[in-house]
Amino acid sequence: MSSLETRLHKKMRIAIMKIGDVEPEWLDSVQKNGELFYLELSEGEEESLLPETPTVNHVRFSENEIIIEEDDYKEGKKYEPKLQRFTKILKSKSLLPKRHSKKSSNGNEPVSILKHQSNQKTGVVVQQRYKDVTIYVNPKKLTVTKAKEHLKLLEVLVGIIHQTKWSWKKSGKQSSGERLVVHGLLPGGSAMKSGQILIGDVLVAVNDVDVTSENIERVLSCIPGPMQVKLTFENAYAVKKETTQPRQKKAQSNTNDLVKLLWGEEVEGIQQNILNTPHIVMYLTLQLDSETSKEEQEILYHCPVSDASQKLKSVRGIFLTLCDMLENVTGTQVTSSSLLLNGKQIHVAYWKESDKLLLIGLPAEKVPLPQLRNMIEDVVQTLKFMYGSLDSAFCQVENVPRLDHFFSLFFQRALHPAKLHSGTSLSAQQYDASSAVLLDGLPGVRWLTLPREIKMELDTALNDLETADFAELSEDYYDMRRLYTILGSSLFYKGYLICSHLPKDDLIDIAVYCRHYCLLPLAAKQRIGQLVIWREVFPRHHLQPSTDSNTEVFQEPEGRYFLLIVGLKHYMLCVLLESGGCASKAIGNPGPDCIYVDQVKTTLQQLGGIDCRISEQLTASPSPCLSCADWFLTGSHEKLDSLTTSPILSRLPGTSKVATSPTCRRILFGDYSLKARKPSPSRSSGGSDNGCEGGEGIGLSPHTTPDAIWKQRESRGSDGSEESGALLKVTKKKVSLPNPFHLGNLKKNLSEKDLEIYNTMKLTSGPENTLFHYVALETVQGIFITPTHEEVAQLSGSIHPQLIKNFHQCCLSIRAIFQKTLVEEKKKALNRGDHSSSTNSVSSLNPVKEHGVLFECSPEKWTDQRKAPPVMAYWVVGRLFLHPKLQELYVCFHDSVTEIAIEMAFKLFFGLTL
Amino acid sequence: MGEEGTEGTVHLLCLAASSGVPLFCRSCRGGAPARQQLPFSVIGSLNGVHMFGQNLEVQLSSARTEDTTVVWKSFHDSITLIVLSSEEGASELRLERLLQMVFGAMVLLVGLEELTNIRNVERLKKELRASYCLIDSFLGDSELIGDLTQCVDCVVPPEGSVLQEALSGFAEAAGTAFGSLVVSGRVVAATESWWRLGTPEAVLLPWLVGSLPPQAARDYPVYLPHGSPTVPHRLLTLTLLPGLELCLLCGPRPPLSQLDPQSLLLSIVVASCVPSTSWSLPRTSHQSRGQQRTRWRKQPRGPRCQEPATWCLGPRSRAQAGGWWLCRWARGGCCCCCLPSVPPTRFGAWPPTLCRPSARSSDPCASATHADTAVSVSLFIRSQ
Repeated sequence: MSSLETRLHKKMRIAIMKIGDVEPEWLDSVQKNGELFYLELSEGEEESLLPETPTVNHVRFSENEIIIEEDDYKEGKKYEPKLQRFTKILKSKSLLPKRHSKKSSNGNEPVSILKHQSNQKTGVVVQQRYKDVTIYVNPKKLTVTKAKEHLKLLEVLVGIIHQTKWSWKKSGKQSSGERLVVHGLLPGGSAMKSGQILIGDVLVAVNDVDVTSENIERVLSCIPGPMQVKLTFENAYAVKKETTQPRQKKAQSNTNDLVKLLWGEEVEGIQQNILNTPHIVMYLTLQLDSETSKEEQEILYHCPVSDASQKLKSVRGIFLTLCDMLENVTGTQVTSSSLLLNGKQIHVAYWKESDKLLLIGLPAEKVPLPQLRNMIEDVVQTLKFMYGSLDSAFCQVENVPRLDHFFSLFFQRALHPAKLHSGTSLSAQQYDASSAVLLDGLPGVRWLTLPREIKMELDTALNDLETADFAELSEDYYDMRRLYTILGSSLFYKGYLICSHLPKDDLIDIAVYCRHYCLLPLAAKQRIGQLVIWREVFPRHHLQPSTDSNTEVFQEPEGRYFLLIVGLKHYMLCVLLESGGCASKAIGNPGPDCIYVDQVKTTLQQLGGIDCRISEQLTASPSPCLSCADWFLTGSHEKLDSLTTSPILSRLPGTSKVATSPTCRRILFGDYSLKARKPSPSRSSGGSDNGCEGGEGIGLSPHTTPDAIWKQRESRGSDGSEESGALLKVTKKKVSLPNPFHLGNLKKNLSEKDLEIYNTMKLTSGPENTLFHYVALETVQGIFITPTHEEVAQLSGSIHPQLIKNFHQCCLSIRAIFQKTLVEEKKKALNRGDHSSSTNSVSSLNPVKEHGVLFECSPEKWTDQRKAPPVMAYWVVGRLFLHPKLQELYVCFHDSVTEIAIEMAFKLFFGLTL
Repeated sequence: MGEEGTEGTVHLLCLAASSGVPLFCRSCRGGAPARQQLPFSVIGSLNGVHMFGQNLEVQLSSARTEDTTVVWKSFHDSITLIVLSSEEGASELRLERLLQMVFGAMVLLVGLEELTNIRNVERLKKELRASYCLIDSFLGDSELIGDLTQCVDCVVPPEGSVLQEALSGFAEAAGTAFGSLVVSGRVVAATESWWRLGTPEAVLLPWLVGSLPPQAARDYPVYLPHGSPTVPHRLLTLTLLPGLELCLLCGPRPPLSQLDPQSLLLSIVVASCVPSTSWSLPRTSHQSRGQQRTRWRKQPRGPRCQEPATWCLGPRSRAQAGGWWLCRWARGGCCCCCLPSVPPTRFGAWPPTLCRPSARSSDPCASATHADTAVSVSLFIRSQ
């Protein structure tokens, strides 16, 4: 049955091949187990890198290793069905630069490439290194295609496509010329007609004249007229065999490349630095058979091997004892321990599963304990997602280099978070590094809210992909069973999730995987020219054994799951595929299927058009606007004038940003607090300006007026409030009798809708915007929102970055409290189930729902000795919502207004849907 | 053991570091001393794991399970204290402070000499029995929070100056500079020199007086862990009114018998200005589950992550502590804790502030404050 199916597939692919032209360049990187991590940098990035570019840039087609290997051990079996999946590939037409080949393919009957390959198959046994092919060449054809002068003679005359990539040219300068690898055959060309030239062969000589990419044009141009030419090729297989050894090496160095890529040039120094920091990951077994008393037999895996880590490894006895003993004494599993090593505090997190123990140790100064706890959870989650279970991840020998890579990335991320984002602006770098403390541990993905029209477009595009209706490319067209069912997909743009059709658990699994391989920051900087990742995954959501015995309930099929990530510039599309179930069962370790890769790529290309609209949203998303901490410091007037327009301004529709900003800023700055602060002259005048100019000054400040209205409302509501500042005096007078003129004018300028927009955008309740930063986590959908990099970058200031860093660290601690609360709540709920009467316990005060900390800060460099530095107070408040669904909100705002977190949360979460 | 009840259990182990012999074990369950002890094998392995690390130059400082925290601490390479707490909200910071207090209490009653040079373990064990009462009060549910803040718990009397004067006069007459009035472990008034006592003993002495069974008069030998850890002093106490005790710290003189007539005089002053009923401070019921906020003040650096004080409040859980403070505030009696560098001249000053000498803690967030000299905190709670 399955062989029939695969044969059908083969047929289909053959048909598909008729349209196609060139093999995808990632094909080489597919590993034996079908996994693929192919990363091609964008051109701009490549330029900045070392001349020695990663292997991924070499586009060379040859049969994959896997096939050869399988030939070796499955002698009797027919390997052809396996083979065709890799070889019969087509390239999306639109992806590559247009070639005339496609045009000509319509006219004359193309010769199937596959035929040659099957021919070649028979010749596998009798392998020669070189082969001579005689073809007929007619230079007169050249005159016909004179118009396309740029075409190479090799293509036009012989019909061999040799793709000279940009980077090749560069390296080609150093050597005497690039080897002429056959990348494709021109349909109808004499090369194809001969039936002996294969993709992957290397053209070494023409009529016994040695040729390279340098001289080939000259040599070919010497052909006077129609004649037979002898071409000497180096056999594709021979090339293959030769390069097998070095390639395996390269695959490993590739892993370093990723590290190098992400952390930039100074990676060597950092790595040395990292080696000196004590850190370790160990996977130990608790069950020892005493008979084989081998040294270090309990260590199943450990990384890294360095002197500093050696110490930690040598005291593993402590960890094992603690794990065993504390569990016996307390009845709960050990989660972490701290120890002092050379005066440095090291936290060690534990993860026990059956009789194995995973340990991660990191210095406390780099990673606070709550973060470490989140990290080990993430590591376990990712490893389970990638390998199914911890045992299968750690206990297989072939996984060791992969794990080494995994953990070297992990430690780089943990110990040098700031360096990861090198290349971006300093402020963004700081923001990333400081926010990573909190955001990396959240069970959610960073979400970018988009307007409905864009959202619709994205949804449609993803839906189209998910239906897997690829017309003549789909299996249905050929009446076959599908290879995979697409379970869902999610789309990232510059590291923000913008559209997701995946269940929450899958989404988070994928997001954590992407986070570990640092894919999101890569996409953020358009460093990706092309990214293709393919691997088998084990999503917990689908693999959980169903607890419900009811057969009516949907049962997860016993299938296998594959993750396909395709990145193109800023976009990254993650697709979760299922085989088995409705689709045909996967056999062996299937590699990426090109049809699916191409379809995903096409989808991404379709989305290229709305690229700019999304990035517009990034800079000015409808999320609440922020204030900069520095604006609230009374001492920094002079800084005010140099400030850029505040985000409020830029977001109000139809505003002229030019002349109006100072007024608005002053209003923003108007002091509302009860603290006696010297009102600066500029501030008070600005305020009164606005109030008095209600009529005439509209031209000047159309968008400050909503502010005034707001204030009016506010003062109407709270008559006795002791707001200071001149601006409110004006409005207070109007409390009983609103000035019709005033309002009339306003109506001209602002529709009600605009006002609404402004009010929803402002999260805080006072007259001015006092919000500094926020993080809102929506755990049901697995997303969180927080100000974008662009928004934060607008608020440049000296204090603000510090405030943001502080905010995130504080939130991390607050979140740790919330998590404890949740555990206790769960426990309580269980107890209640047991005996419902005993609810009134001593700990009735327990559930912490809100936790706030007030900070005070003042500028770091305060030169004026006579005056005390100005002080600004701000709150960091975390709020946990248990009902109706689990949500967490963290906000940071100025001390001057009392905020009610529930209100803020309502505003933030309203309309926030996937 | 952890799942037997909702209340937490605290086990305190004291071992001789060199030999590993347990000197004493105290347990406490749900705020009251408990008989139940850890099995000997557990004690052995808890100590063994710490010793193993020490041999390899790795100091194990703490470990956590889902509901329990264990903290190890060794003092002067001769005493190892281990605390195992499953109380909710037991942070490492709190447990570490607890161990410091416990060791301070041991020095206070036995002397540092005995503890660093253990010649006769059995005799030391017997001597340490005297400190059980004080140590148990640390483990149990006390109303005082001096162990956590490392500051003296105080009561501000309405007529502070009168008391202060009377006390100073009395102490001078008795020939000592150290005198204080203590109500159930809280200082009402004290002489200037008393306030200059070092951190452990300033907290420990009133606490000790509060934890001892009521007696009309005492003559108690004490070592001062900070001031004179090897030479004992005499702590004289006289009960002036039920609950109100006069404490004097002095050398060989004066004998206890000489104090009586003068103290009578003082007590009249006291009685005349303060009605005796207001001395007892009842514990509050925890009325509300209000929002907690911590006010954290720090000058004049830029913003930094600080460990808010609510996190370290330990078994008198955060909200409880908040309510307690609020109550005292509402009744007009505020609590004020001071450190030696700030003389408590402004009794009754508002808002009540807690002064902490330094934020030494294992919390990574707090490590930033290490270099700071004084940090003041005030706690309050919104309880609607």
